[in-house]
Amino acid sequence: MQWLGLYFPDLPLDVFWSGETDTPLAVTRRRKGRDIIDRCNVSARQQGIRPGMPLNAALVLYPGLHLHERDAKGEQQRLEAIAAWAWNYSSRISFDPLLLLLEVGGSAKLFGGIDILLERLCTDTRAPVAVEYHALAPSPGAAALLARLRPGCRVGATRELREALGDIPLAQLTRDARLLNLMQGIGLSSLGDALDLPRPELARRVGQEALRLLDRLLGRAPDPRPLWQPPARFHQSLLLLAEIGQAPALQFPARRLVEALCAFLHSRDAAVQQLHWRFLHRDAPPSQLDQGMLTPSNQAGHLLELFRQHLENLQLPEAVVEMELRVDAWQAADKIHGDLFAPARHEDQGFLERLRARLGEDSVRGLQGRPDHRPEKRWRYRDPLPAREDTPCREVFSPGETGVPLWLLPRPRRLRQRNGQPWHEDCLQLRAFSRRIETGWWDGEDVARDYYRARNPAGQELWVYRDRRSGHWYLQGVFE
Amino acid sequence: MSAEAKKSIDNLLLQGLLWRGGSAPALTGRPVLPSGFASLDESIGGGWPRGALVELLSEGPGLSLLLPALAALSREARWLAWVNAPWLPYAPALAVRGVDVSRVLLIRGRDGDQSLWATEQALRSGNCAAVMFWPQHISTARARRLQLAAEEGDCLGVLFRSRKLVRQSSMAALRLEVQPSGEKLEVHVLKRPAGWGGRRLLL
Repeated sequence: MQWLGLYFPDLPLDVFWSGETDTPLAVTRRRKGRDIIDRCNVSARQQGIRPGMPLNAALVLYPGLHLHERDAKGEQQRLEAIAAWAWNYSSRISFDPLLLLLEVGGSAKLFGGIDILLERLCTDTRAPVAVEYHALAPSPGAAALLARLRPGCRVGATRELREALGDIPLAQLTRDARLLNLMQGIGLSSLGDALDLPRPELARRVGQEALRLLDRLLGRAPDPRPLWQPPARFHQSLLLLAEIGQAPALQFPARRLVEALCAFLHSRDAAVQQLHWRFLHRDAPPSQLDQGMLTPSNQAGHLLELFRQHLENLQLPEAVVEMELRVDAWQAADKIHGDLFAPARHEDQGFLERLRARLGEDSVRGLQGRPDHRPEKRWRYRDPLPAREDTPCREVFSPGETGVPLWLLPRPRRLRQRNGQPWHEDCLQLRAFSRRIETGWWDGEDVARDYYRARNPAGQELWVYRDRRSGHWYLQGVFE
Repeated sequence: MSAEAKKSIDNLLLQGLLWRGGSAPALTGRPVLPSGFASLDESIGGGWPRGALVELLSEGPGLSLLLPALAALSREARWLAWVNAPWLPYAPALAVRGVDVSRVLLIRGRDGDQSLWATEQALRSGNCAAVMFWPQHISTARARRLQLAAEEGDCLGVLFRSRKLVRQSSMAALRLEVQPSGEKLEVHVLKRPAGWGGRRLLL
């Protein structure tokens, strides 16, 4: 077994999205009833702030410091997002605080060796965070310790572990204060000191517990760990360090959530068609945005591009303090590769999708004929996709259907009458009888109409009809 | 003209260094699409220019001029986009004139900006064989962008605008003023590629 430990010391800071700004930021934790600085970013360091400093002292140094308590839930969530990406390299993943442990002994063969795997992993541009601290060891405990304390260390065989771990302080072995006291009481300060003692001697002096811990660390005893299972659903949130008041600016933090989603999708070779966004405000109820797509996708660039278009129509009641992305359903990605011989279709969908995302679904439509004698029911809108395979609607039309206007009003407009003559802007001159329609008795919208071509004084030819029941005149179409 | 001079002019013509106004469409070097009206084709350099912007200035009619070309274009597997058309194109009337209705894409922008954006997208995408746009107002700079987009997407772009704009200069490669004249349409060629405008014809 070969375990790769990946250590992310900045994770507690990283869970807060601060954009590209270098706002001084620190996270705090409680120790003995006092708040102390746990970690801080580079800008805060430049102000003289250091980890371990009491909160009050830090605020004296820089009153504008952004402060948050450590967010254990957020850290775990972020770690799982990283795990979703690391799933590309190993399917046996376990967590330690701020650490990811990957069993790579098995998957290294797939990559052609541990060196290639490690190089790929460290240079992977899809990684949600930079991988800087890593170590290889035959046991998970050792990999974790070495990644934190001796980054870059590689131990291939169990027998080399003793040397690699020798000078690590004993305090790293356990947090059990009683055990530590006991060991330090007999003059042990490093792991090496403890390992130098004969086993029976050590067991007699400090108990079996310490032996068990050391055995696990050195790979002499099994160290079973719960393995991470990819979650069935994607649901992540992101705290915004600075509130965002303008909807278009949401696209920047959205990138992180979308990239996490894509890592999640790639790890199971899936794609999504529906994204649910929620934006949390201080007081107002959360705003929602549902991002639907014509075809499933797992490309971050594509998803973000559409999200940007959707933002144009989003009204925010208040500034956003936190955002969430949820996906309830996905499908296998292989379905979306589509037909090898119809590459243009995919582009076509992208084009229609772009238009629809910005203008709204009802503003981009196709046209289709229907078999009906009433002109207003002779056609209907249709979804422009799927377009090519659709049954062509030409057969609905008969070549004899002449004498109809090129333009139709969305619905017939009632015309005023003067002396029994229809009137539209001016008196209309009826030129020719066009047809009589009596139909629709079966659906309750029966009509009885006489159609005429009429001309207005401007020379425009209009299609008008007289409702034979009411005697009213209507304008329905325009010739040209 | 002396024989010598004629010979050197022929030479220049052969080398394509001399341009003759109103001559054959082959000279324009630009692909054209027959309009379906022989006399119109003759007056505008062979047909509608492909990958370019056409302006039709009219107070109503104009679409019927395009129908034969639209019928031909609808046989390509690309869209015929109608952006902010004044009314609905009536499907049976299109079908009767040979236009494949399933290629019609109706687009409506909420405001001038959206419509312009949609038009530009449609022109540039390469997914549309023709884009017809009825703008409210359009600046020269935007019209220029549309012209470039039409070139990029190899698309026939048609702007339907008011006849009041006849005197304005324009980016469009071809400008026609159209008005009804009895049963026919009177077409006045204001500007055309590779040639002089000014011809009037009845169709």
